[in-house]
Amino acid sequence: MRLQLDILNIRDVQFADQTKMIDGVLTINRLELQDFLKEDKRLSHVDIELAHPGEKCRILQVTDAVEPRAKKSGGVDFPGALGRQGRIGQGSTCVLRGAVVILCESDGPGSPPAEPSTAQLGGIIDMSGPGAELSIYGKTHNIVLVPRAAHGVSLHDYRIALKIAGLKTAIYLARTGKDLQPDEVEVYDLPPLSKIPEGFETLPKVAYIFQFISGQFESIPGYPILYGHSAERVAPTLLHPNEILDGAVITPYRTMDIEVFGLQNHSIIKELYRRHGKDLYFSGVVITVAHDNIKENERAAMMAANLVKWVLDADGVILTKCGGGIPEVAMAMTAQRCEEAGVRTSIALAHYPTVLSGGDSTLLFNLPEVDAIVSLGTPYTPITLPPVERILGKSAAPSGEAQEMGEIRTTLNTVKGVLSQIADTKVTAVRY
Amino acid sequence: MPSDAKEEDGKMGSRKLRIVHYLNQFFGGIGGEDKAHVGPEIKNGPVGPGIAVQQALGERGIVVATVICGDNYFSEKIEDATREVIRLIQSHQPDAVIAGPAFDAGRYGIACGALCKGVQNQLGIPAVAGMFKENPGVDLYRKDVYIIETGDSARKMAEAVSRMVDLVCRLAANEKIGKPFEEGYFPRGYLENEVSDRLGAERVVSMVLAKIRGESFESEVPPPKFDQVNPAPGIRDLRSATIALVTDGGLVPKGNPDRIEARAATRFGSYSLKGIKALNPDDYEVNHVGYTPVYILQDPHRLVPVDVMRDLEEEGRIGKLHDRFFATAGAVCVVENVKKMGQAMAKELKDDGVSGVILTST
Repeated sequence: MRLQLDILNIRDVQFADQTKMIDGVLTINRLELQDFLKEDKRLSHVDIELAHPGEKCRILQVTDAVEPRAKKSGGVDFPGALGRQGRIGQGSTCVLRGAVVILCESDGPGSPPAEPSTAQLGGIIDMSGPGAELSIYGKTHNIVLVPRAAHGVSLHDYRIALKIAGLKTAIYLARTGKDLQPDEVEVYDLPPLSKIPEGFETLPKVAYIFQFISGQFESIPGYPILYGHSAERVAPTLLHPNEILDGAVITPYRTMDIEVFGLQNHSIIKELYRRHGKDLYFSGVVITVAHDNIKENERAAMMAANLVKWVLDADGVILTKCGGGIPEVAMAMTAQRCEEAGVRTSIALAHYPTVLSGGDSTLLFNLPEVDAIVSLGTPYTPITLPPVERILGKSAAPSGEAQEMGEIRTTLNTVKGVLSQIADTKVTAVRY
Repeated sequence: MPSDAKEEDGKMGSRKLRIVHYLNQFFGGIGGEDKAHVGPEIKNGPVGPGIAVQQALGERGIVVATVICGDNYFSEKIEDATREVIRLIQSHQPDAVIAGPAFDAGRYGIACGALCKGVQNQLGIPAVAGMFKENPGVDLYRKDVYIIETGDSARKMAEAVSRMVDLVCRLAANEKIGKPFEEGYFPRGYLENEVSDRLGAERVVSMVLAKIRGESFESEVPPPKFDQVNPAPGIRDLRSATIALVTDGGLVPKGNPDRIEARAATRFGSYSLKGIKALNPDDYEVNHVGYTPVYILQDPHRLVPVDVMRDLEEEGRIGKLHDRFFATAGAVCVVENVKKMGQAMAKELKDDGVSGVILTST
């Protein structure tokens, strides 16, 4: 399967009369985009604002981030999620690199979500200062969407509409670049495993087990995750890595440090591709679920390990997780099954200390064979965000705005785009 | 390097560091086990391994005195001995203290750790010890004190001493201390986020390749250490037993009266079941960030099965259900807090005459 990304580097994003791309400058007709998004009757209104790197601007209630992309040939955009099914992972896709669609959850229908875990300000992106320095999204030109629910729309339906609005905006914007000469081209080409090219047979085969959804949180019926399916109990299955890069998998409503942007630019898949044919042979990807019970996790661990060993013929496998507690246990269990089958493992995870700040490292498993662990940082270290001049991402609620513009003392995990459970970060927790 | 009129001076124009060295009776040349009871004495200048310390120090410092103390004397009354030794050390007005290396000698290691901790706290000067990884002094004192990792015996004395001396000099100069594996000390036990030069993805792929090839690799996260908990003996007669329900699923009365944190809890509550046949969903809420509590909110018995326990009570299969249930939130919990809560809960339950506990989680 061969996927070509035709990349246009974005220098600036502005509002204008016409939505188009000229010389790296993306202009957006705000009204046109708003009308397009309001075709979804679940939404009454969509605020759209821009946030640029270096601005003293803070974005609140961030729930997801999407890179503007649109298929040029060989498939449909976000198949299933937007209704139409279709091929993906082949042909070419236009990418606007340097621009990101940011999704913010406004107060929604009725009262705000009553989950005690939701920090008052939700996910935060700062466009300058220490938060911006560490975050992927502090350095990009952001198109910030704050969709509001139409009267009588349930919270679940609103949240689906929110994600759909993000995906539609990503396509709408990237279509401006479809006929332009790309600034860069990336090719992701991996043949079927039965057709290993000559000379590559001796390379160690490495696979990836991608835990993409956690059952620890209630799923939203109809939420589009895997080719439009909510997928919460799907058995471990093979996906071609290109399918993931090209939009087959969408983040569930609640994730921990994984955004759609991260899936489109999946760093482990890209790294395996980068070294493919050099010091390893990329033998494939298995997607799996972290279930909320031990029986299903045992079943999934065994099935995933069997796929990796007996279908992908892997010598080694990388594993990651997508949440906190049981996802970590499920990942470790899967790694253990792989090791038992003779497949060497290494895992990458954000890990917690024994006391929130200043504690020693701890893990939720202790398996002698699961001994190759990369640290993706520790989430609850304090960070102070300096005052800003502009707040985005909240539906007009003047009360409290002064506080939100002021200095915020929070923890690293609330700043979006800093920590990544799929290893797209240089943050690492060092044990002193 | 300027080599002019600074004969007496150490680094950066400051005078040479005055170091006091601590040894046990064996390395201090007094004797073996038969002299382990001997109390502390102080001698001028270096003794035994102190020669190696002085060599490693070179122009940076001078071993002004050596304290020697028997291992039994020290380990049998650690606090008193620490005080005594510190008094001896103090008279030489040192800038830093080096203790050991103790290698795999357990009592010696404990003495070195206790002394270094005392020196830091009471004299406000740096102190460094050296031990083999299995020395019990490591686990007891690594949180408080820099302990250089050494081999298990004096064969590698020179290398161990040189690392100890380098570290103590840097501490005395107030320099930033590097990572444990760079400096050779046992991790003190706290996590700090840093920015690596490579993405996590690059590092994790490199690690699996090293593992496939059978090459050595350095895991970035150490395996956890779990306490060993011996199970209590079984209940002989359930029919006379008082059984309590304890949950970490976050079920609390509406309004969360004890203000238990939904994440990283430090508090727990206990809530009356007196005269309650069954929990009324209207009276409770769930305070927990780790799961979606829809099913518990519908019927709290799914988490705290008071209904079933009342049945068992009526059937006479248990003596009675304890008249309070205990709850906290087991999400993103930190070990030290949970340990404290567990101990406090266990004490209350025991004081109340509870003979068995059913723990429910989510």
